[in-house]
Amino acid sequence: MTTQTLDPTALPNLTEQRPQRPWRKRTPRFKLAVVLAVIIPAVVTWFLWQTSTIPTPVLLVAIYLPMQLIASTLASIVTRGRRGIADSIVIVSAIGATVFSLVILLSLIGALIVRGWKALSPSFLLQNNIYISPSTPLEYGGIGHAVLGTALIVFLASLVAVPIGIATAIYITEVRGRAVPYVRFFVQSMSGVPSVVAGLFILTTLIVTGALTQSALAGGLAYAILMLPTVARTTEEVLRLVPDELRTGALALGSTRARTVFRVVLPAARTGIVTAIILGIARIIGETAPLLLAAGNSDQTILNPTGSPVASLPTYIFNNVALPYPDAVTRAWGAALALMIFVAILFTLARVLSRGRLGR
Amino acid sequence: MADLDVQERRNLSASATAHRGDRVFSRTITAAAFSALFVLAGIAIFLGAQTIPVLQTQGLSFLTTTAWDINTDPPTAGIWGMLYGSVLLAVVALVIAVPASLMMSIFMVFLAPKKLASMLTNLIDLMAAIPSVILGLWAFYVLNPTAEVWQQLLNQYLGWIPIFQNASGNFLGTPFIAGFVLAIMMIPIVTSVTREVLSRTPPDLVNASEALGCSMWTMLRFVALPYGRGGIVGGIMLGLGRALGETIAVFFVLKIVFDTNWYNIIESGGGSVATLIVSRFGEISGPYELQLLLASGFFLFIMTLIVNVLANLIVNRTGRLQK
Repeated sequence: MTTQTLDPTALPNLTEQRPQRPWRKRTPRFKLAVVLAVIIPAVVTWFLWQTSTIPTPVLLVAIYLPMQLIASTLASIVTRGRRGIADSIVIVSAIGATVFSLVILLSLIGALIVRGWKALSPSFLLQNNIYISPSTPLEYGGIGHAVLGTALIVFLASLVAVPIGIATAIYITEVRGRAVPYVRFFVQSMSGVPSVVAGLFILTTLIVTGALTQSALAGGLAYAILMLPTVARTTEEVLRLVPDELRTGALALGSTRARTVFRVVLPAARTGIVTAIILGIARIIGETAPLLLAAGNSDQTILNPTGSPVASLPTYIFNNVALPYPDAVTRAWGAALALMIFVAILFTLARVLSRGRLGR
Repeated sequence: MADLDVQERRNLSASATAHRGDRVFSRTITAAAFSALFVLAGIAIFLGAQTIPVLQTQGLSFLTTTAWDINTDPPTAGIWGMLYGSVLLAVVALVIAVPASLMMSIFMVFLAPKKLASMLTNLIDLMAAIPSVILGLWAFYVLNPTAEVWQQLLNQYLGWIPIFQNASGNFLGTPFIAGFVLAIMMIPIVTSVTREVLSRTPPDLVNASEALGCSMWTMLRFVALPYGRGGIVGGIMLGLGRALGETIAVFFVLKIVFDTNWYNIIESGGGSVATLIVSRFGEISGPYELQLLLASGFFLFIMTLIVNVLANLIVNRTGRLQK
């Protein structure tokens, strides 16, 4: 009665099973060694930190880190013999490097929130900076003009960079001309142009020659140079995801190449292209150097794209950072927090959209 | 169709009237696609045109000496200290960022649980999105006081090593702090490329090496790192290109001096071409100084272009990795 038969329905499960790694089995001895290796150095360091006057950085770098390395090495020798030494060093330094980066990121975000929060208020976000001197109290003046200026400059940059960027991507994936490798190479090289050089280029071609003054348009053109490669490369990635069946299907129905691209391929990649634009905007929105050179600065709300210098969030921060007035510095932190929030929103938006696109 | 030769096929498609719109379309697209080349060439030509008169008046000493005496007659200028300073900052940044990024990507690919790894990926991407002006603000107010203490300690305990000497007692505005800030900018760039390269190590090879009894270090040393070497080097060079061209974050933390700071990385004062341009532009004295700045920008452009082209060649050779 109890003869065992192989249940055929269990077969797929069998093949889906993750590979077992018997050599990776964790014995209680191993676990104990790891726990001890983590706890002992931490406790000793904490004890020293409480009782001695050794400066904290020295304590962490000269005492905790070597002690942790020795403890982990001992633990691995106990459990796995001498071969474990290199492993324990890799593991400790890998965790250490990750913690190092996270501490920096947290310190940055934390400082932004703690120091910038004081400045943020509806009036700070909406008012402009006329009649405001660096020593004016925080209740007056704001970054409204800078937010509008940044929006204007980014909009003008998008007007130039988005069509050209998408066209470049279409050339690479749809037209597929002979120059595709070269075009990709130029776009890649262009993404390495330093932002200050982009500003200098606009300065010398348009402003010094008198074609434009320092203005939102000039700043937008400088931004466009930085934005174009990001848009082109992300759009290219997205267009590659469009299945070839859609293209051949459209062509077989008698559609021309141009129609196939505009009516079939681009709509199919719609969300991805929006993501590309958002990533392009996120790439440029905090760039300062090109605006210092090409857009100048202003205390007023300027909506005219040409003719007069215009304010922007990065230049507002730049001008307030090193002033010897605490309120001006707080304004800089407030503007930085606002800018970071914009960047985070764009970033999240791009993530959400691209997740939907890939259907994961 | 198979009977027609290539020329006939071409004639057929060219003669079809329905394709006239297509020709306009593909020509427009092709023209737009070359805009990247036009911009690169434009930068080289327009900045290069401003460089020629500078080289005529200053000679090659513009590149080999360090001076910025604009108000003398004739004015003398040389950006050697700035070019060298940019490289010194980049070296400091590399020394900090490369091990950190490499170890972090090893953690993300081979050690961390999947959820933690994807969370870390998001955080690293967020770190890459931090505008440099915010990084500069943070470095000026938060990093500076901390780094001052670190450097004093370095000088106190390791002062016998030449690079940790400090004669002035001033530990602010040093290449170390500026290089540290650049390292923070480089870490996300290098990590994301390295992580992608390492995660493409064929799992079969990893499993096989484990089954053969390799320790993790042996696996990294003989499988993962050799496998991803090209991509890792390319990623490091992409980060390097970014570090060489960075302006604003360095502006807040580096004291620009027209003198060559050869190796005293915790001594106040250093150089950076990109930062020189912005810091002098604010108080520019006239058209000749603007020309000098444009010429400096030209050499900065050439320097970063070479690094980036090399980086892209290396990364492309190892397969499509970039976003």
